[in-house]
Amino acid sequence: MPVYNLYMGCSVPANYPNYEAAMIKVAEVYDIQLEYMEGVACCGSPNLRAIDYLGWLTVNARTLAIAEKNGHDIVTPCNGCFGSLKDVYHFLKHDADYKKQVNATLKKEGLEFKGTITPRHFVEILYTDIGIEELKKKITKPLDGVGIAIHYGCHLLRPVDVTEFRPEYLNELIEVTGASVVEYPLWKQCCGATVLPVDENLGIRLARDKLKSMKESGAEFVTVVCPACGNQLDLQQLGLKESYGEEYGLPVLLYPQILGLALGMDEDEIGLGMNRVPADPIIDHLTG
Amino acid sequence: MAETEEPAGPPATLIDPIEMSKLDSKFREEIHSMPNAEELSACFACSTCTAACPIANIWEYKPHQLIRMILLGMRDEVLSSNEIWLCLTCFQCQERCPQKVRVTDIFFDCKNLAAKEGKVPPNIVGLGKELLEKGQLYTVTADWEREDMGLEPDVPGLAVDPVKDILKETQTGKLVDGGE
Repeated sequence: MPVYNLYMGCSVPANYPNYEAAMIKVAEVYDIQLEYMEGVACCGSPNLRAIDYLGWLTVNARTLAIAEKNGHDIVTPCNGCFGSLKDVYHFLKHDADYKKQVNATLKKEGLEFKGTITPRHFVEILYTDIGIEELKKKITKPLDGVGIAIHYGCHLLRPVDVTEFRPEYLNELIEVTGASVVEYPLWKQCCGATVLPVDENLGIRLARDKLKSMKESGAEFVTVVCPACGNQLDLQQLGLKESYGEEYGLPVLLYPQILGLALGMDEDEIGLGMNRVPADPIIDHLTG
Repeated sequence: MAETEEPAGPPATLIDPIEMSKLDSKFREEIHSMPNAEELSACFACSTCTAACPIANIWEYKPHQLIRMILLGMRDEVLSSNEIWLCLTCFQCQERCPQKVRVTDIFFDCKNLAAKEGKVPPNIVGLGKELLEKGQLYTVTADWEREDMGLEPDVPGLAVDPVKDILKETQTGKLVDGGE
């Protein structure tokens, strides 16, 4: 049974307990042991990186150093945390001066960043450590005939020399559930979450472009693997209805919810009631 | 590309002449010495970064122009620009650069320099304050939702003090205190 340090960050536990619970339930099915990390908090997000590079390095190096103590890789369900941890890991492995500076601070807590464990996204361990063949064996309710548009999220995919994640991983993770992947022109485009504090309208417009592109390409559902992207594509649909009079009606599910459905979990177990755009069509489809 | 209005005014190629005496010749070295900026001078201004950027059409200074401005030494213009803060950090520019210039990373360097001079949008300072005071950007308020999902009401293992302690001593502390 593979064991991982579970790093939740701040957004998933506060805003997406359904994501957290669905991830844990899916992990149980595949004997993935996720152990909540002790003594950690927020990764700081790209906002901290923008104003305080050293602080951002130190906070994330500290999280990595805590995980190094028990030797298990870190797993996170959030693209923001994944991007921060991966980038810091990658940077400090190659920059001796900053590493020294960061470790001087961590020493006060008896910690040291060595670079011996790897930060990983939950969907990446499903793909790499469990594997498509093993995932397939437990599927009992395939989502046949469901067209899903994937929003990967920028910090899962790029920069690829840092994230080492390929979009095909998530495509295959969708296809193993029996659903089909709907291609759409703006698949690479940002959801707009990062720019919200500086220009809210721009952030909303980016989400709108994205939803339009998905809808026009025939998507029935959307999957995301990040709370910030989730907010932009799910919650913003309510705002778009109000401000533009546009109704997209695209239920947005976190990936473990999709896999959970295919594993035969019911809607309460994966917290579908907490998704903002009602997910009824997917339930009707599966029960119909 | 995002659907946006066309900016008014002349096309970006018709720009005012650059005031040579105002250039800061050390700016390129300053950026060059910062994290992930080693390839800065490899830029040959092909503007692939601009073609990749989903919001460059609303930027007065396009991504390739900002890189060129850094190389020329237009320090004030770059560090006072809105563009560096509007950057989505989507890394599309960086990913496509044929010269391996880490464009998005370099904009992060610019933001860090701007932050040292206190040139930060108020909402971003607000997020810094949040991190400094709470150790996180989001705090659990609806713990019943967590309990409904069979989760602990409080996030297991959460410890905010170490984060606050680190950021007190770094640029976040200076920026937030200086702004009060």
